[in-house]
Amino acid sequence: MKKLRGYIFSRPFMEERVPQHVQNIILRNYCEKNNYTFLLSSVEYKMNKSFIILELVIKELKKLDGLVAYSMFQFPENEIERNKILTKILKQKKEIHFAVEDFKIKNNEDAKKFNEIWLVKKNLKYCPQKI
Amino acid sequence: MYIEKKEQVIIQNFEKNGYLIFKPEDQKILNNIKSKFLSFLAKKIYNKKSKNESYILNNIHKYIEKKKLNDFRLDIIKKINSTNEIKEKVYKLSKKYLDTLVGNELVIQKRINLSIQLPKDSSSLLPLHADTWSGVSPFELVVWLPLVNCYETKTMYILPSHKMKKYESKLINKKTKSSEQIFNLIKKDLIWLKVNYGEILVFDQSLPHGNIVNREKETRWSMNIRFKGIFTPYGDKKIGEFFEPITLKPVSKKGMNYKLPGQ
Repeated sequence: MKKLRGYIFSRPFMEERVPQHVQNIILRNYCEKNNYTFLLSSVEYKMNKSFIILELVIKELKKLDGLVAYSMFQFPENEIERNKILTKILKQKKEIHFAVEDFKIKNNEDAKKFNEIWLVKKNLKYCPQKI
Repeated sequence: MYIEKKEQVIIQNFEKNGYLIFKPEDQKILNNIKSKFLSFLAKKIYNKKSKNESYILNNIHKYIEKKKLNDFRLDIIKKINSTNEIKEKVYKLSKKYLDTLVGNELVIQKRINLSIQLPKDSSSLLPLHADTWSGVSPFELVVWLPLVNCYETKTMYILPSHKMKKYESKLINKKTKSSEQIFNLIKKDLIWLKVNYGEILVFDQSLPHGNIVNREKETRWSMNIRFKGIFTPYGDKKIGEFFEPITLKPVSKKGMNYKLPGQ
């Protein structure tokens, strides 16, 4: 069974706020459903744009199969920074899972799709919103 | 408007009724989807090569118990969503209509839905509703693809667009207590959509629709999946969680990444 380290946020992301215990419920459920061993979540710092904890998790990945974050929109908004993180993980041949989106990155092709979704999400604020 | 004659016909029909039933040119793709389903079933419940595919699907209630239906359905949904193959095929089959009615820069629902309605089974009903009433964006279009012939109580019903005006102000008010009440109010104007295998239905999910207990002798199998323009409002079903882009164009990508010199 693959072992995945949980990764959750203590600050809002993309104007959304999810209580930490709710994020953990979703992660646990995702791992159960997909037959992964869920390892207790690391909680990112509240300070804006901090990814200190994520970097620590990446360093720890040698012993694991990957990490599972609550949402893909908890990764850096800046594409260069985001790609640096993806490269660090993929170079180690580890996986990145996102529970809410039921999406995983195992290779560059997945990373490309991930960045495409990010690009659209960031630009939706310039599109009509109101229904 | 620079709209071709052929497209105008599609648009007029859709605007009048809120749905369209069409026969895709490439029936091989449809047959391929059906065979894929049968291959999932073969491993699970039957291996009688003598029966034809339509027989097996229409008579699946003879092979599975009603109480096991939900697990059975979830298992097949998992299988059809394990790759993008079926979604891609459904897109290909409906592309002409999606391009005309929705646009050509689209997002697709990430997981295709499957409905299996055994005869006399009341456990998998979708009472009268409009998806928009529960927060779905009115910019979405549903593609509904039957794997068997659907008719009378074995199909779904819809209130056509041209009848909607008549009820708009009466549909939901302070006195409304149940969807059954709304059903009874509009019952006489509902259309029971006859959609044969080999045809595809596209419909506006903001129109009241639903189904009742299947009183026919055969089981209904149908898939449904939603599409919308990438840059249209999302409602409760968001990009990433529920939708993913499938036809993002290079100029849009370039535009979204564009920075003025020096910025």
